[in-house]
Amino acid sequence: MKTAAFTKSYGNRTVLRLPALDLPEGMITAVIGANGSGKSTLARVLAGIEAADGNTTVLKDCSVGYLPQKSYAFRMSTRRNILLNGEDSARAEELMQALGLEDLARQRAGKLSGGETAKMALCRLLMGTYRLLILDEPTAAMDMESTLAAEELIRKRCRETGCGVLLITHSIQQARRLASRAIFLHRGELAEQGDAERVLYLPQDPLTQRFLEVYGV
Amino acid sequence: MGAAFQQAWELIRSGDPELLNILSTTARVSLTSSLLALLLGVPLGILYGVGRFRGRRVLIVLNRTLMGLPPVVCGLLFYLLFSGVGPFGKLKLLFTVPIMILAQVALITPIVIGTMETYVAQTAPALRETALGLGFGRGKRFLLLLNECVSPMISAYLLAFARAIAEVGAVAMVGGAIAWKTNVMTTAIMMYTNRGSFTLGIALGLILLGLSLLVNAALSLLQRRLNP
Repeated sequence: MKTAAFTKSYGNRTVLRLPALDLPEGMITAVIGANGSGKSTLARVLAGIEAADGNTTVLKDCSVGYLPQKSYAFRMSTRRNILLNGEDSARAEELMQALGLEDLARQRAGKLSGGETAKMALCRLLMGTYRLLILDEPTAAMDMESTLAAEELIRKRCRETGCGVLLITHSIQQARRLASRAIFLHRGELAEQGDAERVLYLPQDPLTQRFLEVYGV
Repeated sequence: MGAAFQQAWELIRSGDPELLNILSTTARVSLTSSLLALLLGVPLGILYGVGRFRGRRVLIVLNRTLMGLPPVVCGLLFYLLFSGVGPFGKLKLLFTVPIMILAQVALITPIVIGTMETYVAQTAPALRETALGLGFGRGKRFLLLLNECVSPMISAYLLAFARAIAEVGAVAMVGGAIAWKTNVMTTAIMMYTNRGSFTLGIALGLILLGLSLLVNAALSLLQRRLNP
């Protein structure tokens, strides 16, 4: 998959100005960058939540599943929240078990903790079938054990269905664990994109090099 | 105060026909007007909360202004509109229960709209983003939003009912507080107080409070059952 080049502005302020991006199917692409670099805006535009300038069609003929940064729990039980996106209850059980939610299945989702809500939201998204999954910091609220379990679920989904995954993360370690490709954004512009091995270990761009230094990796 | 309690109890126990008439008129006016306000206000509140149309902000400001509309001003407007020389005078609705209901609907619908609009405006963006992200269509998104609105709807109804049952200015002006016809609890309290029957006024006030407490308790229980 390839996106179209696009810009995104709020009033007179352009917050994203990007060339075409490669989002290969069957691969996880990590998007990294400092706060305000436009990572979440990129996710929201690709997911169709916000329109690019001039209503540019950024992704053509692609079913996109998007997990927002802040997970929303609908006013119903955890299980019903997950089953909102598919009726396969065996699959729902499997997902809940993978993330340790099985004991919370009947609990009202509004009473889950932040981490549990994030797990529920990931299970709910993974109930659906999409060509591209956009995950905006899916594990930010999770503990390490849950993070690793969630990463395994994402990896498995990508491998089994051949869908593309765009993973927005602040964690360089997570990007290194999961991604085959990486995109580095700086102040709304593309600084570097390519194989994760190169971008995350031997970046060519001085901005990416400085970012990795700041993160101490 | 003790005498007032005793008299309130005596009035209820004796099944005083005038009290029963006042109670049934009060219930008819308050329950009907608050239900009508709910039916009108919920869709409008949702529309104001999620809609992105020209003039929306003006409508919201206008509605917030109407939330503070003094009941007597509302009563005066309806009086002028429905009096013999008013545009709707031919309907001969003045000093009847239907006009009291209409005046209260005008008074409390903005409260329902405002409550729903505030809630929906806060909830809808996150809900929309999540539902769009899952690929849900417009119909499913709307049903999910309605499901989220159950609790604020009960709160809005409680507020509307509380305003309706306690309101005196509008119903007194358009209803005329006619005994056995348009007299409600609040106008009856005023009438007894004007006559110097303070104990009876306080007794009626206590019954009014009791009624309000019953409705509030019932709806709060319902709210808790829906949101355990």
